[in-house]
Amino acid sequence: MDRVEDEVLVRRVASGDERALAGLYDRYAGLVYGTGIRYLGDRETAEELVQDVFTSVWKNAAGFDPERASFATWVYRITRNRATDLIRRRKARIRTVDGEPLFESGETDPSGELSRNFDVAAALSRLSPVHREMLVLAYFHGLSQREISERTATPLGTVKSRTTAALRALRETLGFDEDRWFADE
Amino acid sequence: MSEHPDIRDLVGPYVMGTLEPHEERDVEDHLQECASCRQEAQELRLAHERLAGLAYSIETPPPDLKERVVAGIQRHEARRLPSWVAAIAAAFCILAVLAVILTPDLFGGRALASANLNPTDRAPDAGGEVSIQGTGENMEMHLEAWGLPPCKREQYYELWLVEGKDRVSAGSFTVGQSGRVDVKLNAPNFAGSYPKVGITAEHDKDPRASDTKMLSGELHQS
Repeated sequence: MDRVEDEVLVRRVASGDERALAGLYDRYAGLVYGTGIRYLGDRETAEELVQDVFTSVWKNAAGFDPERASFATWVYRITRNRATDLIRRRKARIRTVDGEPLFESGETDPSGELSRNFDVAAALSRLSPVHREMLVLAYFHGLSQREISERTATPLGTVKSRTTAALRALRETLGFDEDRWFADE
Repeated sequence: MSEHPDIRDLVGPYVMGTLEPHEERDVEDHLQECASCRQEAQELRLAHERLAGLAYSIETPPPDLKERVVAGIQRHEARRLPSWVAAIAAAFCILAVLAVILTPDLFGGRALASANLNPTDRAPDAGGEVSIQGTGENMEMHLEAWGLPPCKREQYYELWLVEGKDRVSAGSFTVGQSGRVDVKLNAPNFAGSYPKVGITAEHDKDPRASDTKMLSGELHQS
């Protein structure tokens, strides 16, 4: 499942493959959940967001068109829309006595940061397993280069060169959208 | 760039800030002199910042959430009929509709017995029709009448199945200023076997039929 592209997994989901959905969950649930905590403010609602998003992926996979957008872009839109729905629902529930909402925040992704994160997650999933392992251990497990060397039984010099190569590959994968990449700096 | 492969391999860890101090100095010295490596360092720094941003945004979901998501879609699937089941169900619906149209006797669409209601002296302009439809426990009487005096307070009319001196109530109803009524009443499964029907005016709780007859008629088997 590790080497399979997102778009292939979505096709399998469309044919009713629950393992394919689990594969997409492994890649994106952390980001959706983190988005929920950040924008919705509590873990319970964030869990609701994750369930909503992946249920929606399951139900609508047959309608996903890889010609129009990547899976990451698609799941990003679902996440943004579901988060907005949850914010609206919560606003409807929580009101002061004069009917004004208690808070006005709730714009999901005004800076585009959420969208960028989904792009990076998608790019990461397209890297070779060796390159992805280097970056995942460094960025998501917080290991130093030496710790990665020990964990993977790989010479330290090789870890350093692979890390450089992995960052380069990630940059190239994201480079398909280079204009936007630099435009929003 | 091919003339300095070792330094170039360190650019990744350099932008991540994970090099040993002496390696970091070596890379910085090199970047001072090499524009292409400076360019690459700039690009890799961007990738590093994006990854760091992603890492900052990711939270580990509760371990059981994945199971709950899968259980949720399984419940969703259980509720959703497979297309072939839906097609068969649709075909049965069409057959049922056709059966009701083509064989009304089976579904109570045609009357088992009916009667024209004739007026009495108490309501000389009144008239009506009764038909009995249905099968088994689902018998009903369809009553349509007109010209009846409007009910006064606590007054109502009652429809009776009549045989000799026996009376079996088929239900009660009231009439407003129009004097008309069009109502379906539940009937006992033997309703069609009675020879006559009648309508009386009632105004108390006595379960027996009053003597105030308003309409009557003979039931004819269809």
